[in-house]
Amino acid sequence: MIPVFEFKDVCFQYPGHDEFALQGFNVKLPQGEKIAVVGRNGSGKSTFFLHCNGLYRPNSGGVFFKGESLAYDRKALRQLRQQVGLAFQNPDDQIFSANVFQDISFGPLNLDLDEDEVRHRVQSAAEACGITHLLQRPTHALSGGEKARVALAGVLAMEPEVLIADEPMTSLDPWARLSIFEIFERFHEQGKTIVMATHSLSVVRYWSSYVIVLQAGRVTFSGTPKELLNNPRVLEETGLSKIWWKVDPAFPENGAADF
Amino acid sequence: MRIIDRYAYQNRISRLDPACKTGIAFGALLLCLLLNKPLVGLTTIAWMYFLAVFWARLNWRVFGKVLLAESAFLILASLGVFFSVSLKRDVGSLWDWRLASFWISVSRASLQQGMLLIARAAGAASAMNFLTLTTPLMDLLELSRRWRIPAILVDLTAIIYRFVFVLLDRFNIMFMAQDSRLGYTASYARTMNSAGLLGSRLFINAFQHSRRLQLALESRGYEGGDFRALPSTYQPCRYQAWIGVAVFASLFAVWGVT
Ligand SMILES: Nc1ncnc2c1ncn2[C@@H]1O[C@H](COP(=O)(O)OP(=O)(O)OP(=O)(O)O)[C@@H](O)[C@H]1O
Ligand SMILES: [Mg+2]
Repeated sequence: MIPVFEFKDVCFQYPGHDEFALQGFNVKLPQGEKIAVVGRNGSGKSTFFLHCNGLYRPNSGGVFFKGESLAYDRKALRQLRQQVGLAFQNPDDQIFSANVFQDISFGPLNLDLDEDEVRHRVQSAAEACGITHLLQRPTHALSGGEKARVALAGVLAMEPEVLIADEPMTSLDPWARLSIFEIFERFHEQGKTIVMATHSLSVVRYWSSYVIVLQAGRVTFSGTPKELLNNPRVLEETGLSKIWWKVDPAFPENGAADF
Repeated sequence: MRIIDRYAYQNRISRLDPACKTGIAFGALLLCLLLNKPLVGLTTIAWMYFLAVFWARLNWRVFGKVLLAESAFLILASLGVFFSVSLKRDVGSLWDWRLASFWISVSRASLQQGMLLIARAAGAASAMNFLTLTTPLMDLLELSRRWRIPAILVDLTAIIYRFVFVLLDRFNIMFMAQDSRLGYTASYARTMNSAGLLGSRLFINAFQHSRRLQLALESRGYEGGDFRALPSTYQPCRYQAWIGVAVFASLFAVWGVT
């Protein structure tokens, strides 16, 4: 099957910085999977995601969406962003309106949908994220977790085929996490792809069906969680084995876990 | 600002169509300025206070405090109208005091004029207070959009309004972070240093933030131009319009009678 995204030898430097944020970045994101992206702080997760939305352009190498090289003209970008929804790491970066309802409706309105459809989508996205009671609140009167859910609803309301979420769980309480997992589950059941950056190894182990490990701007592993657990070399190289063993006592030291 | 904002969306009439509240407030403002009797201003204050407390269910102390603060400024500003200073003693004045070789006096005309000025200005201010304390800013902006104010102005105001709060939040958090590491208690020099650092961080922060915001907007399909927004759904004005009529009629009546 054609991967939703393929990165071929992508290199990227932030303007005015010498180090590469992505360097020789090669990866394929399989269609219809629950993909977890892990890596240390600064390993390039957010930068990778911004490339998937055509927001950054590689210095060299190519990004392919459904087998086709990304074009960066207005029309192509519009189509891409309609199909690929990106929830930013910091909701305050994403929420621009002082009104929750207005912020969620921003994306659907940009898709030129009619008014009824927009209202319907805002409503169902708000329901999915459990924030219907917040719709008339100003965005600056929300807690961090509530903002995260508003930001996610703003992306879901566009009904993308691929959902990319940059550490969506970080500021959420366990109940909210559960509800986000449920949203993701429903999303995934429709045959859609989810990509999530995470620092939680249990998410990698129990939630994801595909894992990508980043290290210093490169992909050091991609495959199923089972393959990762059975790959002592990668576990050793990335230091994951030690961490895993420490935080998750159920994890056998030799790395040969049976799922 | 945060407090005003909180009242604006937590009062009982905040979901009412802003057109009706704006109509009442601006109508009263206009009458205050046109009808030149002090009692008109005082009646406006009474009305606005009454509407704010019984209609919008605002706390009576809040409305009073805001008005009191404004009145203090007003009175200071209008001192010049009450008192006149001259070298000769004015025989027609009500009161006068001698100060070195000057005479400071209050005449009947200046007293009346000063009263009128204060009553008018306080009346107008109370009408505006009523509006700002009962209507969320986003609703006022939407109203201006309906009234065909150029979209760029409306969008800009909306964005500024949002980011004033973001900046305020960042400021608070950074300030507390510095404070918790004793940035403001060690010495005067350290305090100045901390404040400088805070200022420059805030500036860089705002700059980076604006870039990330640009990315986030693009990722949701924004391609430049005006922001699109759906009209909100409000409770429509029905009997509420009569409140406006009652206010205006009573102002005219007060003006005619006195
Ligand atoms: N705006 C920027 N300007 C310059 N360099 C940047 C910028 N943003 C990120 N970088 C650098 O690019 C690299 C990758 O950063 P990125 O934000 O993609 O990491 P990340 O994996 O998302 O980290 P985290 O887990 O902390 O979110 C880092 O070395 C970082 O220092
Ligand atoms: Mg990141």
